[in-house]
Amino acid sequence: MALMIAYFVRHYIFTLTVLRKPQKHERAVTVGKTPYQPTVSILIPARDEEKVIGRILQRMTELTYPKEKLQIIVINDASTDNTGKIAEQYSKTYGYIKVIHRDEKEGGRGKASALNAGLKHANGEIILCFDTDYYPQVNIVEKLVVGFADQKVGGVQGRVVVLNEPQNLVTRLVALERMGGYRVDQHARHVLGLVPQLGGTAVAIRRSLLESLGGWDPSILAEDTDLTFSIYLAGYKILYIKDAESYEEAVESWKAYRKQRRRWAKGHMQCAFKHSLKVLKSNNLSLKEKIDGLLILNVYFMPILTILSWIIGPLLFLLKPMQPLNALLASLLVSIYSFAGNFAPFFEVGIGAYLDGRTRICWLIPLLIFTCLYNIVICTEAFTDLLISKISRKNHLHWDKTVHSGNGNSYIMS
Amino acid sequence: MKEGESKFNYLIFGFSAVWIASCVFLSLLFINEESTIMLIVFNLLFASLTFPLNGTLIRKASLLLMGNIIGLFWNYLFSLFAYTVAHHLGESFNVLYMILSTFVNLVWIVSFWSISLTALASSENRKVRLRLDN
Repeated sequence: MALMIAYFVRHYIFTLTVLRKPQKHERAVTVGKTPYQPTVSILIPARDEEKVIGRILQRMTELTYPKEKLQIIVINDASTDNTGKIAEQYSKTYGYIKVIHRDEKEGGRGKASALNAGLKHANGEIILCFDTDYYPQVNIVEKLVVGFADQKVGGVQGRVVVLNEPQNLVTRLVALERMGGYRVDQHARHVLGLVPQLGGTAVAIRRSLLESLGGWDPSILAEDTDLTFSIYLAGYKILYIKDAESYEEAVESWKAYRKQRRRWAKGHMQCAFKHSLKVLKSNNLSLKEKIDGLLILNVYFMPILTILSWIIGPLLFLLKPMQPLNALLASLLVSIYSFAGNFAPFFEVGIGAYLDGRTRICWLIPLLIFTCLYNIVICTEAFTDLLISKISRKNHLHWDKTVHSGNGNSYIMS
Repeated sequence: MKEGESKFNYLIFGFSAVWIASCVFLSLLFINEESTIMLIVFNLLFASLTFPLNGTLIRKASLLLMGNIIGLFWNYLFSLFAYTVAHHLGESFNVLYMILSTFVNLVWIVSFWSISLTALASSENRKVRLRLDN
């Protein structure tokens, strides 16, 4: 119950923070009069992405960052469709686009493995990563790299916005989650000097640091969270730039949602096992960073605790009736958390949407109950899988790839 | 701020405080402790998170007062329903009630919160903005 209160209070503080300090504490970093423009390598891992690879590569050619300082590396990760061919066509036309082909022997082992393969060919000072289903702003590179003028900055995260939001209910609900997560959570963490997280895309990392950390850990399904904590533990900071927007093609069905979230949950739980103790002991993190870090690492365990409290609570009530007020308070907190506070409570999502000027989508907030309940099932399933793989010592943790339909193309104005 | 406007704001605050206190007291007197706690939670969240948003004070206060009335009636109706079901099912219903009641309360809280945000939005915020390349 104490944990639930902690998460609830944290979300409340985040929401208040973005309301009261919407623009303050922005860390504008400039270097004299000349713009800070380091060399940049953009990694785009792609496996069977023929429906979207053309879109992202076309966008890469439209970036406003000086092309002589730009290198784009497509990692064709053992695709069985036309992904490689489409990428090669772009490579022939644009000299700064390079394609690395991985066959079935070395490829298909997950995103982290593909990124590591790309990293070997990268020569930029800063590494950027984009998933193939993303559509970034043309000036996103400038916005992301400027933070690296500060040598203590190890990574910079941009904002993710759902591109195909109007498609159906699932995409709309994912869009709401993103608003809560990026517009409020990430921004508040940045403002409060807590632990902004690196996502798997629209992300920039200092190459020297990345190499010193050994690249991405291929055994972890949430390679982004793993890298986030490795960077903090190494004594560097991560910035969140809310104006550096990238538009994603969100999952379009409940089945795809489950597959994606189960992978995230497993990966996050792996990171919790790997980093929790290190975060506690670290001398490079302040107390507030440690608290926030631990709350981030363990967030996917909360839906499991919720379901346990639903089962154990009534049982205890039947076996040994509690005082009415205790039972009432217990049920109140559990319900508030589980209904509205799974990953982003209703008030946080609402304020995120409001600040974005997206008021009509607020009407869908009550429907987040579906994703909340669904996440309880998904996280329980992920935890069970993880336990089985730990006990049996067999690797059940294969990379469940999200299939992209390319429907997001219809939402891009030409 | 003009003196007249300031006095009017004090009036709104005073009236709202009395209204909210009355609703909370009525819920404690005629419904149950749980509805009282839910009303308090609603008031705390609503007042702290919507009052910093755009919109006139009177509009925000009206929404807050309306929310209290809705919450009061919602809880009253649900308690009548609960008493009826408990009469037929007996003590075992208490376990179900323990889980259900706060969920049922959150249905109106979350829905009312969503509608209020829309109502508070200024007309310029209503425009859907696709900020590609800005």
